[in-house]
Amino acid sequence: MAAPVLAPAEPAVATAPGSGPGGLRRRLSGRRTRFGLLNATPVVVYLLVLFIYPIFSTLLLSVEGEDGGFTLHWYADALQGTNLDILLATLRISAETSLLSLVIGFLLAYWITRLRPLWAGLVMLVVVVPHFISALVRTYGWIILLGDHGLVNEALVGLHVPGAPFQLLYNEIGVVIGTTSVMLPYTVLLLYAVMRGVDRGLIAAAASLGAGRLVTFRRVYLPLVAPGLVNASVLCFILCLGYYVTPALMGGPKQTMVAALIEEQVMKNNQWNGASAHGVILLLLTFAGLLLLQLFKKAGEARRNRGAA
Amino acid sequence: MIGLRDSVAGRIVLAILSLLVLLFLALPIVLIAVTSFGSDALGSFPPESWTLGWYQQVFADDSKWPAALLLSAMVAAMTTVFSVALGMTAAIALVRSDLPLRSAVYGLVLAPLVIPQVVIALGMFLLFEPASMLGSPIAIALGHTVLAAPIAVMIIMATLKGIDERLEDAAASMGAGRLTIARRITFPMAAPGVVAAAVFSFITSFDEFFISQFLSSVDTTTLPVQVFNVLQYDVDPSVTAVAALLIAVAVLALAVVGVVRKLGSDKQSGLLPVETGISTGGETR
Repeated sequence: MAAPVLAPAEPAVATAPGSGPGGLRRRLSGRRTRFGLLNATPVVVYLLVLFIYPIFSTLLLSVEGEDGGFTLHWYADALQGTNLDILLATLRISAETSLLSLVIGFLLAYWITRLRPLWAGLVMLVVVVPHFISALVRTYGWIILLGDHGLVNEALVGLHVPGAPFQLLYNEIGVVIGTTSVMLPYTVLLLYAVMRGVDRGLIAAAASLGAGRLVTFRRVYLPLVAPGLVNASVLCFILCLGYYVTPALMGGPKQTMVAALIEEQVMKNNQWNGASAHGVILLLLTFAGLLLLQLFKKAGEARRNRGAA
Repeated sequence: MIGLRDSVAGRIVLAILSLLVLLFLALPIVLIAVTSFGSDALGSFPPESWTLGWYQQVFADDSKWPAALLLSAMVAAMTTVFSVALGMTAAIALVRSDLPLRSAVYGLVLAPLVIPQVVIALGMFLLFEPASMLGSPIAIALGHTVLAAPIAVMIIMATLKGIDERLEDAAASMGAGRLTIARRITFPMAAPGVVAAAVFSFITSFDEFFISQFLSSVDTTTLPVQVFNVLQYDVDPSVTAVAALLIAVAVLALAVVGVVRKLGSDKQSGLLPVETGISTGGETR
């Protein structure tokens, strides 16, 4: 990074590989290649054995019948009756969570971009520290908070909110509140990274050309941060899909998610094939989400290129 | 609506809403930390009277927590060793060499962070169950390393990118061998990053629940698995104190990383006074 500033005289080692011919340099690059291969081997071998191979065996197990032959009936099982309900509940809860995270994460991230650096740093600390505290612990905190006599209901009763105390635990409200709280730091960090990069000059330009606040927001600011919004919400959605802890502890029967189903099938019913099929479905949904992000990115780049040309 | 130009009312509304969101993030954690010292560990906030009784219960003679704590610490220590070793070599390969298929390797390394954890846990179970390694601390640590190593790689990569390669070239031009350069130049400068990678690996493993759940057996359960079981099946008020301890460990870990980074950046700026702005600017988060 600093090389071009101070050392234009000796680019041979510091600059990018393959930047020219020359026997010495080629030999050097050969050595650097061998050095790289040597150092990359441990992690690649490790992940192939303990990450890729297990996923591959999950894949095989999910299409293996009782007699050892090929079958798709584990997938048929996974996509009907209660299993389908569980899959749909998973998609629903993930969507609700990522939407809520997006809205309140947008608010918070926007506020942070407007703060003075010192305050922004302090607020970021409040966002980042929870991210590194066990989700289990944070979920437990919400269980205490949202109980019939928890702080939230006491406060609502104290404010004479009609209908209080509410049932906030062991239903979807509890699950979405708890899961959003767990996912929010992640969303805020992603959004903040994009929002900090917005050129304030463009906003000022829009305003100086007579655009009202709403128009500036809708026509200038939103399009600028839109890729970040899509990115944050899809990633949050993907993370929710396979999430277990909070829905398992704060939900009722209607909030059973696929992860809990897999856990039950493996631990209680010894039903590995069915569990594998569910796992593969989650995996495919994840890939679909990542693919969607790629497509959005490509579309955005294409639009920008057209704009430039 | 959020005003883009400053209007006083808009700013106040935004600030109030944002503070509520911060409360939403912090409240469950603060609540646990405070109630763990209250006489009624499962209930009223703020507590009516204070006690250390729950902590005493956690470490009492007949308590099941110390064994779980010990197992978690052991697993986390092993994970840290595995993950830092993999992280250092991988980061060197990705930053400091001409690696063929570099982006494929990088993608493989980052993949465990986006793949649903339940899928990873299930795969691990299918791998270790036939080997009858369920409940083995090594199996759990090997599993946790899949999650911890990507984080270690990213942190050490960022650190290596922040080190000026010309320092190494300078040492080489003065006749230092590759090992000497690594030992005397690169490693001391990368040390803060390696410490950060170690701390994050440790905390990732120490807090990890789902892989542990799949790889635990009846008599070997890690601390998070034990906490989960207590929350789901039997109510044991000392769990609040355990949860508070988990918070303390995480906060302590972050503090360590913060201090080491600060020391590291001071040292680096002392070494390269001309470049302070550039070399620290690339590193700070």
